[in-house]
Amino acid sequence: MSTLISRIGACLAVALLLAGCGGGGSGGTPAPPAPSFTDPVLYSTAATASLPSAVEIAAVTKHQLVIHGTTINYTATAGHLTARGLTSNAPEASFFYVAYTLDGANAATRPVTFFYNGGPGSSTVWLHLGSYGPKRLVTGDPATTAPTPFPLVDNMESLIDVSDLVFVDAVGTGLSEAIAPNVNQTFWSVDADAAVFRDFVIRYLGANNRETSPKFLFGESYGTTRSAVLANMLESAGVSLNGVVLQSSILNYNVACGVISPIVSCAGSVPSYGAVGAWYNLDHPNPAPSALPAFIGQMRTLTTDQYDPAVAAFLTMGIPPPPGLLTQLADTTGMSLAGWQTHFNLDPGFYHANLIPGRLIGLYDARVSAPIGSPLAIEGDPSSTFINASFASAITTYLNAALLYTNPSSYVLLSNAIASWGFGHDGHALPDTIPDLAAALAHNPQLKVLSVNGYHDLVTPFFQTERDLARLGPMANVQLRFYLGGHMTYLDDGSRALAKADLAQFYQGATAAP
Amino acid sequence: MRLRPEGVSVPAGSGAGRPSRPKLALAGAALALVMGVAASVSAATAQSPPATIETTIRDPWVPPELRTPPPTPAPQGAALRTQVERKLKAGFDAADVGRSGTVTRDQARAAGLGYVVKHFDDIDRQRAGAVSFDDVKRFLRGRGAQLD
Repeated sequence: MSTLISRIGACLAVALLLAGCGGGGSGGTPAPPAPSFTDPVLYSTAATASLPSAVEIAAVTKHQLVIHGTTINYTATAGHLTARGLTSNAPEASFFYVAYTLDGANAATRPVTFFYNGGPGSSTVWLHLGSYGPKRLVTGDPATTAPTPFPLVDNMESLIDVSDLVFVDAVGTGLSEAIAPNVNQTFWSVDADAAVFRDFVIRYLGANNRETSPKFLFGESYGTTRSAVLANMLESAGVSLNGVVLQSSILNYNVACGVISPIVSCAGSVPSYGAVGAWYNLDHPNPAPSALPAFIGQMRTLTTDQYDPAVAAFLTMGIPPPPGLLTQLADTTGMSLAGWQTHFNLDPGFYHANLIPGRLIGLYDARVSAPIGSPLAIEGDPSSTFINASFASAITTYLNAALLYTNPSSYVLLSNAIASWGFGHDGHALPDTIPDLAAALAHNPQLKVLSVNGYHDLVTPFFQTERDLARLGPMANVQLRFYLGGHMTYLDDGSRALAKADLAQFYQGATAAP
Repeated sequence: MRLRPEGVSVPAGSGAGRPSRPKLALAGAALALVMGVAASVSAATAQSPPATIETTIRDPWVPPELRTPPPTPAPQGAALRTQVERKLKAGFDAADVGRSGTVTRDQARAAGLGYVVKHFDDIDRQRAGAVSFDDVKRFLRGRGAQLD
């Protein structure tokens, strides 16, 4: 089906590589390599916007990456594919994606991974330029001293040596837009969003003859909510997945004390406070960095054995917490005794604003901090403010200059989709997607799940994720990994390298014959 | 916790007043344009507008009116298996357009129930030409699914 894609042979002017240009299944007549490619369509992320129609065109460029002495020749394909209704076959949306595919690989055995960020309303720029693509931005996380805008460098921890990588933007973000009679808003709900992603995945696989390839999903944050629903929808549609990577999960909004008002227990965040207190040397005694995993183990036990029953009694019957527990919490989290006394069901918003007098610590990466009132703190989260502008400036330049894709629209990193998102799912006002993940596993008991977590992420705390996934029961399919770092663990150089090795192992296990 | 709510004032449907923008019928236009650039346009001169951020909020986040949801059970064990079965059954029932309690291969295909289509012969052990939900469950259990 690749003939349906009008691949424009926009190749880097490297004589050695020209042989690969202009093919793309377009009938055997190589198009002359063009130095640039312009998609003239204006894309909008407005709620009511839609395209009258869409064509599937992409800029195709050839690249090389040398990872630890091994040269990897890959093709980057940047453009649009049309998702069509699973049963109606009617055009739904024109998805913008950038695919990195290893040259000369066997499609039957070469994995393909679909990456997307969350929001909802976020483009996939964070994963695309920060995680395991062939290029990454040098953020210096968790320091805030790296030169900005961040330089874009070859990524020694790219997953391109393990899997083909497809970074795709949700409808109404980046350069993805609905096709009439749909509008962007049509796909701004939990179920409609996952369904249109399913249809994109099916289209990508069909257009590139990848139906037999091992398939993986890699979602972050709300992208993990999407992954659970999407995995079940794909399995139901007969598209069997090998693996799902959950980067910093929010699988059940109904128990997320950091997102909904703290009317539910914040126990899922308590071990994270332990890690953050230790980072700032505020715990008594403060665990050595090498002792962090063991210390976190103690925090889990403290939370389950003592905090859980105490906070339940506090929330339901107003029973004051035992003073000894308050002291213990103060000693193990860095939050003052007074803080625990006034906020026993301690939510991340209070913690990040009050841990250190005069400073605001990050929510996405609590290791990042800035003086209250300073430019980095003024938007409410220093760890986001430090990186936003660099990611915004990098994506357009990268698409233009490296992938030779130009377009008259602005690439929208974060759209307003979140403000009018339909969060309802399975009869509840807010999504609980553990049943979706369980249903995906019922469809496909071979499916493997890897949960990637940052110790210092206050928005999707790792212990809550552990508890959510534990609802699945003891399963060999589900693995959890923990790293130094925040929501985007991959921004930390050490953690990115460790996670890359874990991912490679996970892919090996998920693609091995049963 | 409210994630950077200060900058958020986005009523639903705020895009309604958006001015219309030119849309190109691009089927031929895109190709013609690319052919037209020939080799004279360098990547350095072709520039897209800068990327933008329309909102200051990032994930995960929910609007204020959703922050006090009613208590919602978090099923596990038998309750979770029941909910999974309910989800599977809903998909099956959507394909069972004749309300016969069984689904044919064509009905499964028409409903997008690809996993039934793909494994139809394994599910339809009686060679009846139609499968019941119990047949589907038996098949899934046989592959290792945790279903009651």
